[in-house]
Amino acid sequence: MNRLLLPLLPVLAFAWLALPARARAQADAVPVDTPQAAFLDLRAQAPIRGDAGAGEAKATVCAACHGPQGIAIAPNFPNLAGQSATYLYVQLKAYHQGQRSDPVMNGQAAPLSDADMRDLASHYAALAPKPAGIADAGSRGAQLYLAGDPARGIPPCQGCHGSDAQGPRVQPGRAAHPPWSTFPRLRGQSAIYLTKRLTDFRHGIRPGTSNTRIMEGVASTLDDADVQALATYLSSL
Amino acid sequence: MRTIRPMSCAIVLALLAGAPLAHASDGSDTMRVGDMQYGNGLDPRGWSPLMTPDADGMSWLHPGMLRTPSGALYPYPYTLAGKPLGQGGDWTYWGLLQLGYIHLGGDSDAEFFRQYTDWKNGAVLGLWAMGFDNRATGGYVEFRGSRISGDDQYYRVRAGRYGHYKFQAFYRDIPHTVSTNAFPIWQGIGGGDLTLPAGLTPGGSTIAAVQQASDAAPRRTIALTRTRSGLSLEGQLYRDWIGFASITNEERDGTRLWGGPMFFNFAFPGTGSPFGGNGGVLETVRPIDFTTTDVNLGLRRVGKVWHFNALYNGSFFRDHKSTLDYQNPFLITNVIGVPNAGPVVDGEYSLEPDNDYHNLRLELSRQLKWRGELSLAAAYGTMRQDDALLPPVNCTGTLGFAAGPFQQLIPCELWNTPAALSRTHANARIDTQLFDAKITFHPGRNFGWHADLRYYNEDNKTDYLAYNPLTGQYGYISENGSQGSVVPGEVGIFDNGYYATSNVQVANVPFGYRDTLLELGADWNVGTSDALSLVYTFDHNQPRHRERTRLDEQRIKLSWVSRSLGDATVRASFEYGDRDGGAYNHDPYEAYYSASLPGYTPADGIAPTAFTVDAMRKYDMSDRKETKARVILIYPLADSSTVSATFYGSRDRYDARIGRQDTRSTGFTGEWDWQPAPHTNASVYIGAETTRLKLANVADNEAIVGAPGSEDPSFGGPLYPFENYWHDLDRERDYNAGITFAHDFGRVKLDLAWNYTQSLSQLDYDYASPGALTHPEAAPLLDGSFPDNHYRSSTFDASLSFPITASVGVRLFGRYQSGSFLDWHYLGFDDTLVYDHRIYTDRGPQMHYRAALVGAMLSIRL
Repeated sequence: MNRLLLPLLPVLAFAWLALPARARAQADAVPVDTPQAAFLDLRAQAPIRGDAGAGEAKATVCAACHGPQGIAIAPNFPNLAGQSATYLYVQLKAYHQGQRSDPVMNGQAAPLSDADMRDLASHYAALAPKPAGIADAGSRGAQLYLAGDPARGIPPCQGCHGSDAQGPRVQPGRAAHPPWSTFPRLRGQSAIYLTKRLTDFRHGIRPGTSNTRIMEGVASTLDDADVQALATYLSSL
Repeated sequence: MRTIRPMSCAIVLALLAGAPLAHASDGSDTMRVGDMQYGNGLDPRGWSPLMTPDADGMSWLHPGMLRTPSGALYPYPYTLAGKPLGQGGDWTYWGLLQLGYIHLGGDSDAEFFRQYTDWKNGAVLGLWAMGFDNRATGGYVEFRGSRISGDDQYYRVRAGRYGHYKFQAFYRDIPHTVSTNAFPIWQGIGGGDLTLPAGLTPGGSTIAAVQQASDAAPRRTIALTRTRSGLSLEGQLYRDWIGFASITNEERDGTRLWGGPMFFNFAFPGTGSPFGGNGGVLETVRPIDFTTTDVNLGLRRVGKVWHFNALYNGSFFRDHKSTLDYQNPFLITNVIGVPNAGPVVDGEYSLEPDNDYHNLRLELSRQLKWRGELSLAAAYGTMRQDDALLPPVNCTGTLGFAAGPFQQLIPCELWNTPAALSRTHANARIDTQLFDAKITFHPGRNFGWHADLRYYNEDNKTDYLAYNPLTGQYGYISENGSQGSVVPGEVGIFDNGYYATSNVQVANVPFGYRDTLLELGADWNVGTSDALSLVYTFDHNQPRHRERTRLDEQRIKLSWVSRSLGDATVRASFEYGDRDGGAYNHDPYEAYYSASLPGYTPADGIAPTAFTVDAMRKYDMSDRKETKARVILIYPLADSSTVSATFYGSRDRYDARIGRQDTRSTGFTGEWDWQPAPHTNASVYIGAETTRLKLANVADNEAIVGAPGSEDPSFGGPLYPFENYWHDLDRERDYNAGITFAHDFGRVKLDLAWNYTQSLSQLDYDYASPGALTHPEAAPLLDGSFPDNHYRSSTFDASLSFPITASVGVRLFGRYQSGSFLDWHYLGFDDTLVYDHRIYTDRGPQMHYRAALVGAMLSIRL
C-alpha cells in the first residue's frame, strides 16, 4: 500500500501549489516575523554619487532650516555640512518612501526624484563642517563614546562612528563589511538634536531601516544621564 | 531525514553559539548533564519544526550571509515569534504541538530499518515545545518532548537566567535493536536462568530433538532500551566563582546475543550417534539489566590572572543480574569413550561486576608575560570492584570420568561453594594518577611556542590467587566442568598429585602502565594569509606485566593553513611517528601460571608447551612507523554556495613477522552546500574510504603438543613450523552519499532527502601448506578468499508542510528505505540453526528488504 502512497506525495505537492495562495502562515513551524512594509534594508547600500552643483541649486528650501552653509539655524535641526553623502541620501529616501516620519520632511522629500536626493546629499557633504569646539576628554560622555561601559553592556560608539566622531573609517578587505557610508558623522551636532535622536531610538519609535535596528539595540542600554552625557560631549567636539 | 554531516554540524554549532534563539537549539554548552543531541527517527535534529529561517539574516551590520573564517557559509538563523505573556510584562512565550499518525509497510521488521527507532503503527507525538523568555532579566524556560513509543521518547526542560544560572532536567528512552530474526530455544529469555523447553533433556537430548525445538521456537527481537534521566544545575556562587552539580542515571534493559560453550565441538564431528559428538557450542541470549549513575561536581574561578578549576566525577555501575545460567541440551561425552560420571547439564556465566569509579581533578593556570600561560593539572582516580565471587561451578554430583590412569573426577561439592575460593570478594582496584604541566608563549604577533610535560600512572592493585582451600588445588574448573568431561587432563586445575603436570593460569595479571609525555610546539604566521605549526612529541611508556617494559614513540606533526590561494582556505597536515622499545618477551606471564608453582612436574620431563610463537609481536607492543596526511579544502562559490573537499590517508607499518603487519586507510569526502535565499537550500555529499589490514600467523602443530619440541617457541621450530604459516588481507571499501533539498514555495514547504551507504568487505588469505588449516582436508575446497561481505542502505525522505489557518498546519511525510546485506557468518541458516552439537540463535539480518513509512502530522501553534 505504501508503494502506492509514496508517489502520491509529489502529486499532492503540485496540486497544492496550483491552489489559490493562502496566508503565509507557517503551520509546520513558528511563523517568520514578517518584515514591516516600510522596512528599508541598507546593508547592501553602496556609496552614492551625485552632482553637488546641481544639489546646491535645489537646496534653497532646505536652507531655511539647515542654514545656507548646512549649519542649522536652530539646535533642534541637524547640521548637514560635511555629513556623509550616502547617509543624507538614505535619510531623504526614507522620508520620501515613508520609512521615516516627520511632518515637514515627509512633505519636502515627497516630490524629490532619486537624482535630486543624490544631488542634495552630495552638495551638503561637500560643505565645510562646523568648526571644532573644545571637548572635555575626561567627561562621562567621552568615556561612554570611546570605551562604552562593558559592565552595563554599553558598546563604545566610536566602533561605528569613528574615534573623532567624523564617521567610520573604511577598512579595505575581502570580508563582508557593514555599510559604512550610511553611518553618520556625529561631531558637532547640537545636544538637543542628539538627545532627541537617542531618545527616539531608546523608545523604539524610529521606524524602519536596518541601521535603526542596530541603534535601537544600542540605545536600549542607555539611561537618561548617559544620553545627556553623550549629547553634551558630541556637541562640544 | 536529513543527515547531519560533520561540516554541517560545525556550522550549526557555530551558529548556535551566537544565535539570539540559542536556547531553542541543542548547542554545546557547559552543562555537565544530559546528551548533546536530542532527537529521534522522526527528526534526528529534534527541533526541525522550529527551524524557520529568518529572512532578515544574521546581522543588521552585514549584507548577505556570513562565512566562517575558513569560508563555509553559516546557515540562516532561525526565528521564533513570541507572544506577550500578559499585558505589559517582559515575558514572551512560544509553543508548538505536533501530533500525528504513522503507518508502516513492507519489511518493517527489518533490522536495519528499526535499528535505532522503535517504529510502530499508531499515534505519535512529533514535537511538543514551549519557551518562555524574559527580555528584561534574561530569564528563560524551555520544554521540549517527542514520543514515538514507550521505548523511544524524550522530554527535556531547561531554565535559567543568562549570565547567572541554568538548570536542566531530562528523561529519554533510546532503543537499540540488535536482531529481529532470533529463534532462541530456551525459556526465560531476558532473565538470568535459561531453561530448556519440554521435550528436551538437559545433557541428554538428541540432535533431532534440538532441531525440532529450534524449528518450533518463536521469532524474537533481541534489543535493549537505554533509559536516561538527569538533573543539573550550574550557576555563579560568588563573584568569579562558578559551581555546577549534576547527576545522570542510565538504565539499560533488554537482551543481547551471547555464547554458551560446553567445550568446543568443531574438532569433534558427529559420531553417527543420534546424540552427536563430544563438546557443544551454544548461542544463548543474556539479559541486560544495568544501571550507571554518574555524579559530576565542579567549581571554577576565572580571574584576570589566575584560573582555577576543580572537578569530581563519580560513576557507579550496577549489574542487577550477576549471572546467566543456562541448560545444555546436548550429551557431553569424553574422547576416550568411557561413560562420564555424570552429565554436564548446566552452564553458568558470571556477568559484569559492579564498579565504583571516582576521579578528582584540579587545574590551575596563570597568565604570564608575552601573552603566555602556565597550566598545571593533577588528577587522582580509583576504580574498585568488590562483588561476592561466584564458586567455580554450579553443578551437583560428580563430573568427569575415570578410566585406567585417567582419574579425573570432579566432586561438585568441593567446587560449587564460596568456600572453594581463596577469597569471598573480588577486592579489585586500579588507581590512576595524572600530572600535567604546560606553558605557552606568544611573544610576538607572528610567533608562539609551547611545551607540555604529562605524567600518567595506572596502578593495578588487584591480586587474586585461584586457590581452593577445600582441595588444596589451584586454578579454575574450565567451562563448568565440560572441558574436563571431554579431554583427559584439561580440567583447568593444578595440584601436586594427578594434576601436577597441568600448566594453568592461577592468578590474575595486574596489567598497568606508566606514561611520560613531552611535547614541544611552535607556530608561525607567515605573512597575513599563511600559518605553519610544528609539534614534536616524545612518549615514554612503561607497561607492566607486558611483552615489553619500555615503549618509546617520537612523533612530529607539521600543519599549514593558507588563505593565499584565491578565495580558498587550505588546511594541510602531515604527521610521522616512530615507535620502538626494549627487548620483546613473547611470554611475560609465566609467574601467573602453575608452572611457576612448587610441585609442578613437567610431563615426561618436557617443559610446558610454548605460550606462543616467539616471532609474535602484539600490535600495541611492536615497533611501528606511522604516517598520516590530511588536506582540507574549502572554496566559496559566489555568495551563496560552498564547495569543500577532504583527502586523508594513514599508514601503519608494524615490524612483525607474526601479528599485525600493515594497516592503511585512504579516504575522500566532498560536499556542496547552496543557500541562495532563506527559503531555499540544497546540499550534495559524497564520501569514499578504503582500508586494508594485513596480518600473519602460524598454526601450532598440535600433533606434537606434549611431545619433545612442544616447548620450543621459535618460528620454524617443531611447534610453529614454517609450513603452518598463513597470512590474510582484509580490505574494506565504504561509500556514502547524500542529497538534500528544501524549498518554501509560500503555500507549501517541500523537504527532500536521500542518503546512501554501501560497504564491501573482502578477506583474502594464503598459507604455506594445508598444515596451517584447522581442517587440512578442506584445502582442495579453498580458493584463497572468503565470500565478500556486503552492506547497502538507501533511504529517501519526503515531507510537505502547508498551513490550514494561521495557527494550524499539516505535515505529510514519508520514508522509503531499501537495503541488502550479506555476511558469510550467517550462511547456512536457511534450513536449520542446529549443526551437530552447535545451536545458533540469530539467523542474521535480512538479505534484502524494502520498508516504507507514511505519516501525517497536525501542527498547532500554542
